[in-house]
Amino acid sequence: MMNIRTLTTNIPRKRVSIIGSGPSGFYTAYHLLKKSKIPLHVTIWEKLPVPFGLSRYGVAPDHPEVKNCEETFTQCAEENIQNNGLHKFEFIGGITIGEQISLQKLISEQDAVILSYGSSGEHKLNIPGESDTKGVFTSREFVSWYNGHPDYALNPKFMDFDWSHVSKVGIIGNGNVALDISRVLLSNKIDEIWKKTDINPVAISLLQKAPISNVKIIGRRDFIHSKFTNKELRELWALERYGIRGSISSEFFDVSKFSSINDRALKRRIEICSEYMKDFSERTKASYKKYEPLELTLDGSTRTWELDYLKAPIKIDKDANGNIKQLTVRNQLLTDENKLVDDTSKSDIVYGLDLLITSIGYAGKPMKEFSSLNIKFNKDRVITKDNRVLSTSDVAFPRLYATGWIQSGSQGVIVSTMMNAFNVADTVIADLSKNDSTTNSQPIDVTNIPHTTWKDWEEINKRELDKGKQSGKPREKFLTSDSMYKHN
Amino acid sequence: MSRFLVKSPIWRSLSGSCGLLKTSSQSLLVGRYTLNRFPTNATFSTTRLLQHGHLKKPNPGEELKITFILKDGAQKTFEVAEGETMLDIAQGHNLDMEGACGGSCACSTCHVIVDPDYYDALPEPTDEENDMLDLAYGLTETSRLGCQIKMSKDIDGIRVALPAMTRNVSASDFS
Ligand SMILES: Cc1cc2nc3c(=O)[nH]c(=O)nc-3n(C[C@H](O)[C@H](O)[C@H](O)COP(=O)(O)OP(=O)(O)OC[C@H]3O[C@@H](n4cnc5c(N)ncnc54)[C@H](O)[C@@H]3O)c2cc1C
Ligand code: FES
Repeated sequence: MMNIRTLTTNIPRKRVSIIGSGPSGFYTAYHLLKKSKIPLHVTIWEKLPVPFGLSRYGVAPDHPEVKNCEETFTQCAEENIQNNGLHKFEFIGGITIGEQISLQKLISEQDAVILSYGSSGEHKLNIPGESDTKGVFTSREFVSWYNGHPDYALNPKFMDFDWSHVSKVGIIGNGNVALDISRVLLSNKIDEIWKKTDINPVAISLLQKAPISNVKIIGRRDFIHSKFTNKELRELWALERYGIRGSISSEFFDVSKFSSINDRALKRRIEICSEYMKDFSERTKASYKKYEPLELTLDGSTRTWELDYLKAPIKIDKDANGNIKQLTVRNQLLTDENKLVDDTSKSDIVYGLDLLITSIGYAGKPMKEFSSLNIKFNKDRVITKDNRVLSTSDVAFPRLYATGWIQSGSQGVIVSTMMNAFNVADTVIADLSKNDSTTNSQPIDVTNIPHTTWKDWEEINKRELDKGKQSGKPREKFLTSDSMYKHN
Repeated sequence: MSRFLVKSPIWRSLSGSCGLLKTSSQSLLVGRYTLNRFPTNATFSTTRLLQHGHLKKPNPGEELKITFILKDGAQKTFEVAEGETMLDIAQGHNLDMEGACGGSCACSTCHVIVDPDYYDALPEPTDEENDMLDLAYGLTETSRLGCQIKMSKDIDGIRVALPAMTRNVSASDFS
């Protein structure tokens, strides 16, 4: 009998290139490799030397269970990295598509190309003081810093800032990212939370200098329109066991006004807030009585957070040293048509602040080549129809697909990202099956471009895990790209 | 019962195609309509548990049965040991259930729709499970997370469906 191994290595495989190794790129690869009956050579291209995108550099360090999707990705890579099965998988890190290798080249030399490069920018408030005031950061910068992203981990913007004066914090936006940031700031001194995580050690030691007293989470709309999910909201309230207490003014949270609400998640959001705002002895459900809250934190200070609503930021003022001094906000009204208008009956409010984080959303950016290739891009995302990328004249661009945050805008959690990726992979498989069995695609030559392979990542990963073990942590990340390469 | 039959299309259709649930004339009609999705020759298989993944082998005489209705309508019945989670059982048998967070109640990719006949026999979901169910695709009144349900004598014979992946629900619903 003929050896299956020798047989399969000679199979002409169709070549699929995936741009970006975050959850959307990896779930697409995983589904393709699991479901395709046509032999495939799947290459994931990643701009950083290491994989996993926002699972590694977005998801909060105290949410390690969310990062468990990386185990699925790793298993998928390991099963297909050898050249002895139906499919072949390849990871190429440290190469930015559109720079070292053009998108045009991939499109012309591969059977399918999938854009899954996430959101590489962020939305701005566009108010005075936003970009030239010390102590004003975007959520993307801040999250990348505490997660040890090589472009931010040792960034002077954070290293040179005086954290020892940070008491009052404002956060603009109220999605899950805003709540992650609030939780990190409010619990900065609780060692039992952070010492067991892979948080950037440089960041947490600076953050721990901050005597934080209050975090205001400022939204433009009302409580009902808050963007966070219940899991993150519950976690924030649960910090009461460490003496970190939350509140919402009755102006914005009046249960009697919510009686007609039927939406499941919204009803539960209201329950969470009303239960946690009750006195411990008056709470009815067991889940709100697990731990008795403390009035003060362990060091005897008051630490509070509040959900603030119907405020639009107007301007940021700095002191003589260029540090943030205050934020001016304008009261808003929601019209019956759900539109926001300035509430002219009230005067503007000034919040004295020592730190301001703007968290109004990551934003996708077009690749430079999109205009010359006539690829349609709108605001913050690639435009697709039935998972296929559209050209500026609204026809499907041959062999080009998009998934994840670059396709949906920066919204959705791992589960929605995964479902979307599976869907896109199914479309790719269907299209590849339609074409005749031959392929004109070619391997992309990267011999002259410095890059990492899956094997390099395995080595980097092992070193990070070893280093973490020495200090009782799950991992200690390399904080610069150079240090990642040097270990190979 | 009728409340669930109306709310949960998978059960509605099964009641027609398999006759396992109590039927009403309405659900029979719907059942016939969806026969295409649940062909009568759907693969029925009872597999005796081998040593799959980290699944325990049930002691003789103590086997508990669980039936999964797959996305294509095929049914798979397994004999399993008490205490196994539905996620472990599904993954041990290579069914399409993801379990992205490894069973930590943090992702909702292990969403299952429970046969209403068995739903009330399950211990109530915790608030944490409900928080994740908020984000599940195609949520029904008998939806649960597979990683949070352990097999017990109370639910011997339970039937659960893996929700079909449809585009009905858009990502923006979960932003
Ligand atoms: C702060 C934060 C916390 C979150 N927490 C949670 C959570 O707790 N639970 C949850 O379910 N979801 C969470 N999410 C959502 C989750 O991270 C996203 O759903 C998911 O990461 C989107 O995946 P993606 O692959 O589209 O994008 P990304 O994860 O951003 O991946 C894109 C990848 O492409 C790479 N790339 C960019 N440009 C190029 C290029 N030109 N060439 C090659 N590679 C390129 C990037 O380096 C990156 O690795 C969180 C998101 C954020 C921002
Ligand atoms: S496996 Fe993630 S919630 Fe069940």
